[in-house]
Amino acid sequence: MTRTAMPTGAMQAFLRREADRILTACTRCGKCFEACPMTRYAPQLSGADPKAVVTGILGILSGEDGSPEALGWASVCVRSGSCVPACPDAVDPRMMMRIARMTASGGLGGPRRIPVRDDRDYFDRVRAFAKLQLSEDELRDWM
Amino acid sequence: MSEKIIFWYGCNVLRHGDIVHSCLDILRRLGVDARPAGGPDYCCGSVKEANQAAADGMARRTVTKFNEMGRERVVAWCPSCHAHMTGFMGQAYEPEFGLTYLVDLLYERRAELAAFLERAVPLRVLVHKHVGFNDKVAVNDRLPALLRLIPGVDVVEDDYAAPGYMCASLAAVPAAMKDMVRETVRRVALHRADAVVTIYHQCYRELVGLEPHANIRTFNYIHLLAQSMGLPYEDEYKAWKKAGAGAAAAIGDKRLEQVGVQFFERAMLPELVKRPPGLTKDEG
Repeated sequence: MTRTAMPTGAMQAFLRREADRILTACTRCGKCFEACPMTRYAPQLSGADPKAVVTGILGILSGEDGSPEALGWASVCVRSGSCVPACPDAVDPRMMMRIARMTASGGLGGPRRIPVRDDRDYFDRVRAFAKLQLSEDELRDWM
Repeated sequence: MSEKIIFWYGCNVLRHGDIVHSCLDILRRLGVDARPAGGPDYCCGSVKEANQAAADGMARRTVTKFNEMGRERVVAWCPSCHAHMTGFMGQAYEPEFGLTYLVDLLYERRAELAAFLERAVPLRVLVHKHVGFNDKVAVNDRLPALLRLIPGVDVVEDDYAAPGYMCASLAAVPAAMKDMVRETVRRVALHRADAVVTIYHQCYRELVGLEPHANIRTFNYIHLLAQSMGLPYEDEYKAWKKAGAGAAAAIGDKRLEQVGVQFFERAMLPELVKRPPGLTKDEG
């Protein structure tokens, strides 16, 4: 069977569609923020207004700089997903935070506004550990 | 062989050749024809959060390769790969295969699996859980159920689940990582558990240092299944963690030459000597 090659760039197009969907669906109630187990690890979130933080996150999705509180929340998001069942509007706040993190880390072309761990050895380290434990045939056939 | 699958083991589990080999043996015993695929050339791209152009290319490449292999099901080892395929890659591109998480496959086949678990593994264990990913795959219930198939294993009832989807994410929030380690150690003592058992490889990498530094035995669940099945693979990563600064000698000159001594010292040794954070009070 001959396959047609999938077009490049579909992921970034998907992210833009998702951002638009979230911007339309979210009512800024702040329940996702209230459910998050990580907010205590960001000092700038102490006493923060949940609705205002979420508004800042939506600002990041809209291409704005993002408030310090929103950037603080994006910095400590570890994909717990506790926000998902807390959302009354089926926004999928975990997706909202993923796209906010991608954007704030400069992943979609804008400036970097949150810390990012640059690990230049990441893939070489994976290959090196593999070399220590897999046979030559396995390295050739499995990777 | 009853079914042909792709066993998508991911990237970082390549630190644990014994886990990859054991998974393949287990699948083989279950009659599954598993074609292994992983490493950087099959990356899901989730690690490239700060470079979505690269992540996009990786996603497209991996979905394309799997489509070309023509197998109906991809069985993922890594929760990050699984979640990224479900939430992003499979939404953006056009996978021509189903996706299953390994724990789910083992759970589906648990009656057959139980027949191979012949050797007793007398351990009272605390399962290290996370709140993330469990909404996609019910690992926090299914993994203990699998462990209870092993003769001699006693899984303690415990309701702690760390934030995040695995410890990889906590590495970016050091205070949360410390809290997780402290809570894990506290609960091991509370339950008088013999060992901690992780679901994910990345948590195992973070917690295996409890063995040399806190005298708490640590395993991944595959280690216990493999022990009970009598599989022969040695957990070299644990041996290297125990050796710490002496890991180079444990690896041996010949193998070190394959990766380069300078690279080993710069990029690999630091994680082998690293202690789990939060074990001492003066760490804050």
